[in-house]
Amino acid sequence: MSDPALRIPPRPAPAPSSLPTEPPRVSAPALLSIDGVWRYWGRGSARWPVIRDINLQLPSGTAASITGRNGAGKTTLLRIATGILAPDQGTVRIEQRSVRGNWREYHRRLGFVSAGDRGLYARLSVRGHLEYWVRLALVRRADRRAAVDEVLERFELGSLGKRRADRLSQGQRQRLRLALAFVHRPRVLLLDEPTNSLDEDGRRLLCRAVEDLLRAGGGVIWCAPAGEEEVIACDQRWVIEGGRLRAA
Amino acid sequence: MTLLPSYLVAMWATVRRDAAIFVSYRLRTVSQILGLLFSLTTFYYVARLVRPDAVGGHDRYFAFVVVGIVTVAVLGAALNTSQNVRLELMQGNFERMLVSPVGPAAGVISLALFPVLYASVVAVVVLLVAVGIFSIPLSVAGVPVALLVAGLATLAFIAVGMAFVALLIAFKSASGATWFISGMSLLGGAYFPVKLFPGWLRWVSQVQPFTPSVDLLRHALVGARLVEPVWLEVLKLGAFTAVLMPISMVMVWLAVQWSRRRGTITEY
Repeated sequence: MSDPALRIPPRPAPAPSSLPTEPPRVSAPALLSIDGVWRYWGRGSARWPVIRDINLQLPSGTAASITGRNGAGKTTLLRIATGILAPDQGTVRIEQRSVRGNWREYHRRLGFVSAGDRGLYARLSVRGHLEYWVRLALVRRADRRAAVDEVLERFELGSLGKRRADRLSQGQRQRLRLALAFVHRPRVLLLDEPTNSLDEDGRRLLCRAVEDLLRAGGGVIWCAPAGEEEVIACDQRWVIEGGRLRAA
Repeated sequence: MTLLPSYLVAMWATVRRDAAIFVSYRLRTVSQILGLLFSLTTFYYVARLVRPDAVGGHDRYFAFVVVGIVTVAVLGAALNTSQNVRLELMQGNFERMLVSPVGPAAGVISLALFPVLYASVVAVVVLLVAVGIFSIPLSVAGVPVALLVAGLATLAFIAVGMAFVALLIAFKSASGATWFISGMSLLGGAYFPVKLFPGWLRWVSQVQPFTPSVDLLRHALVGARLVEPVWLEVLKLGAFTAVLMPISMVMVWLAVQWSRRRGTITEY
């Protein structure tokens, strides 16, 4: 992204040069806590670790970026954090809750945007998607309408509310996918290549939404391929190399 | 909002979503009802051609087979849930269910609801058409019992459908659902009474929920005779439902956990 106006103004955070090489030790429980996570692919003698002993503590109000080459394991790590994949070793917790211990409360606090452009129903309207998701996310009845209206406005989808997903442009679809991740007001947001197909307006809307979440005490992990310019100012910057997380 | 109502709201939202997608294909309902009408007409004339003494004559056979056809349609809708899950996987939408607070088990049950409800509505339309056009002797007094039986039968069919969903999630294939529907149509007595089978094969009709469902529906709606007392058949059907539902839920849960560990859960 070339326009510096689209960047979120940096919050008080350690300068990149002073970033720790080890995960920060925090006294208060982290919002998101990834501890000793290993994940193997393959079976038998063809088994290899794609993720090795990853530790990451994401305190409230902070953002972490994770970069790495294609196939480094970024998506695998995010999928473990969402509960889609189980780690072979280690634990992931959001506000002290694990997927295994409390699926419902863990996922109530989680928002996720997967890489790519899938996960929409072609013939369902924009509003239809959001109204469906607030119910799946167990948002209280009294809050549903406001939650849907808020993200429609936040991602400038209001005029497209009745339009079917298959009649949206790629960028508009990505805005809808982002709106779905935000609509239930998650505490932790996991973004896998979220700027896919977004124009500058779309990136600006995303940055604003992320910043608001951080201000409200939430946490964000932003995964992007190596070499992609940083869109938000992150408090922690990590690279996955050889399955291990190291400070960027 | 307490927990159960919020889960029911989430599941109903899936029904509404499926209904919204379904009605966007405007000709689908018409073509499905036409297909069933062609089936009815075919069997109407087949009933005149053959000598169905085992069920008491031409008209009785037609009424017998109409109830069989609509019951198979509902069974098919429930068992096709695995195909719906496959479609969700292919579109990348199953992932959304996996990261939702309602979770995959409630998610896949909710995927069965619209197809089964829709098949039930079509079944009612077909029965009414069979009464109106082909004059089958439908017993209005038997409708409340038929509704109760249909409710139990639907739950049992959904449970079987969930077992196939578990196989799909674990092994990425649930092609068995197709032959299960065909097998039940044949061995459960959808088109002819199971008493025509040789004795060594008749046991198959007793170890699944389709036979008591279709027998009870025929008894309630068109006065077909039952071999066993009504209470025993209802008990049998209820027992199948009570046993199959928790087993299938556990199967789905195990399949999800296993696939999460193997890393294959979103593969198709």
